[in-house]
Amino acid sequence: MSDTKPNQDWQKDWQALQKQYWSAWQDATRNAAGATTPDPAAPWHEGMAQWSRMFADSGKQNETLERMLNGAKSYTALMQAMIGAAAGQPSGAGPKLWTDALRQGFDLPGMDALLQGNPLAKMLRDIGGPGAQGFDQLSASFAPFLQQAKSEGMSWLNAPAFGYAREHQEHFQKTAAAFVEFQDAVKKYNALILKASQRSFDVFQNKLAEREEPGRQIETPRALYDLWVDAAEDAYAEIALSDEFRAVYGEVVNAQMRVRAQVQAEVERINTDLGMPTRSELNSVHKRMHDLRRALRATDGASANAEIAALRAEVKALREAVHARVPQPAATTKTKPAATKAKPAAAPVRKRAAAVAKPRSASRKDAGSFIDALAAMKTKPGSRA
Amino acid sequence: MNPVRIDPQKAMDEVVKFNQRIAAGFTTLRALDEVHYGATDKEEIYREDKLVLYRFKGANKPTAKVPLLIAYALVNRPYMVDLQDDRSLVKNLLAMGEDVYLIDWGYPDQSDKYLTLDDYINGYIDRCVDAVAKRCKVEKINLLGICQGGAFSLCYASTHREKIRNLITMVTPVDFHTPDNMLSHWTRGMDVDLFVDTLGNVPADLMNWCYLTLKPVRLFQQKYVGLVDILDNKLELENFLRMEKWIFDSPDQVGEAFRQFIKDFYQANKLVNGGLMIGDKEVSLKNVTMPVLNIFAEQDHLVPPSASRPLKQLAGTKDYTELAFKGGHIGIYVSGRAQREVPSAIHEWLAART
Repeated sequence: MSDTKPNQDWQKDWQALQKQYWSAWQDATRNAAGATTPDPAAPWHEGMAQWSRMFADSGKQNETLERMLNGAKSYTALMQAMIGAAAGQPSGAGPKLWTDALRQGFDLPGMDALLQGNPLAKMLRDIGGPGAQGFDQLSASFAPFLQQAKSEGMSWLNAPAFGYAREHQEHFQKTAAAFVEFQDAVKKYNALILKASQRSFDVFQNKLAEREEPGRQIETPRALYDLWVDAAEDAYAEIALSDEFRAVYGEVVNAQMRVRAQVQAEVERINTDLGMPTRSELNSVHKRMHDLRRALRATDGASANAEIAALRAEVKALREAVHARVPQPAATTKTKPAATKAKPAAAPVRKRAAAVAKPRSASRKDAGSFIDALAAMKTKPGSRA
Repeated sequence: MNPVRIDPQKAMDEVVKFNQRIAAGFTTLRALDEVHYGATDKEEIYREDKLVLYRFKGANKPTAKVPLLIAYALVNRPYMVDLQDDRSLVKNLLAMGEDVYLIDWGYPDQSDKYLTLDDYINGYIDRCVDAVAKRCKVEKINLLGICQGGAFSLCYASTHREKIRNLITMVTPVDFHTPDNMLSHWTRGMDVDLFVDTLGNVPADLMNWCYLTLKPVRLFQQKYVGLVDILDNKLELENFLRMEKWIFDSPDQVGEAFRQFIKDFYQANKLVNGGLMIGDKEVSLKNVTMPVLNIFAEQDHLVPPSASRPLKQLAGTKDYTELAFKGGHIGIYVSGRAQREVPSAIHEWLAART
């Protein structure tokens, strides 16, 4: 620990401080209902566990708090284990000793043996909650579907189905086979997570080694924890960005979807047998509804666009027709009449425009103004101003 | 030299303080009010299906002549741009005189699952652009696309150039195949057809689980260890919980749009490689010829800067500006630095071009 303090003194201090911790903890919880005397064997971790129980009892527990307390529990347990382990080491404890202490710090009493030495797997399992589960948890939830298969051996999965119930048997066989594939994929995924966890210890050790330089040493438990987090994320990213992980991740997602699809099909069958609406029926209705809406919009849009284009051309022609009849100032008489520049519009428009433009040979009196022409147009059935 | 130099007394003090904060939290949490979000008054100006187009009301009349429409991503709720009084991109833009509109996509359900990117981009966005333009009596508007909404905005601007005067993209992925893009890396092994055919819409919880697993230790443990530090501070705690709400208040993803987005953007990288069709319109970034301001976050783990930067080479515009923000994907809206730097950068850039 502190380079300036002899090791024996450090241990003595540490034990005294552990007692001090409990005194402070008891002070903090004096007014809180449900606080009991903590287990001195794992005081920091146990203290956090008690907080968790107290918050739960007070009715103030929610998912965020639960996460916070879980995080705090892991953090304090880890730090306690590390500092406690390091207290027994010579004062010059190097990165390897700290890393070993870290490794042991993750293995809490009562922890799932599969998660020991595998902090990233624990983290991923903890993320799961209602509506979102890790691959492991989903694997467990599908387990009942495979129970029969396991008890009878896997060979029946390939056995031919026949008779009245052959379709059902075939479906169950496919479901079981999909589940087996999923479990295999989860195993490969878990193996990579374990690899990332193991790699995280190496990265941590390397990062610690960099801190041996004077002026870069770690001085607080939180800084030590943050260094571990950086190491864990670096190691995880290294694995997660590998081609192998991409393939395994894809495999586990795809396999999971095949299992879900099989289960969905079975639920649909049961619903159909009971005369209940099914997902497929609703899908069909929704799809038709969207197709209809698109068709309607396309028709509406196309006809509106055509009509707008026609009207624009008509207005343009009208402008030109009116312009042609209004006496031009001397300066502009040399310019070519605008009407001759007009591009031919769509056939029906040309007809309309021609009809309006027709009075070209008529007297100026009859030609009327642009406004008159527009007013005349408004009276035409079907035209939109 | 020992790399760890922890003074035992200081270590114990830290742990004791840690416990004291949890104890304080016991009191603070009881006194905590329900967190609210959305700082700025707004009015609905258009509605279609579950989409609502809002106009934000500032204290003063806007001085900007061209309105600014914000198109947010589908994967989160858009109130991130107006989270709270002292953390609001919208409020700051209004104070500078911008006329700000926002598309709220709503929460789609299974009846929406056949909506395609064509429906979103050439349908919803186009009609919102028209509604804003009509209301403000302008032919072209300014468009600000955020994250996935930025990718949508690029598609829209490419195919509807006549309606967009200036384009701003924020934390927007363009090149989906950069080596540091973990999310994209993972999607490339997925059978998206099987995924969408099975799930229909993609559940929000599943999306959030995926995002958390991008950085599991940092996002699922370290963040909550840090929460203890502010347990004795009501204001900070409310801010934390508000953010927490936003992170997990996620809509499900519409199946068909998700399918196309993953296939064409994440897997085939068509914004870069070409061949992207949205409905019957081909998207080419060469057609993005209006002025472009591209803002990205240097510490963004969801949309790495390397995914945004290629817009400079790919866009057809001759007026391209880039702003690298020192922060992350979320900090770019809510950090103190963001309040100081981002709205003013947007406003000044727009003011010079309208």
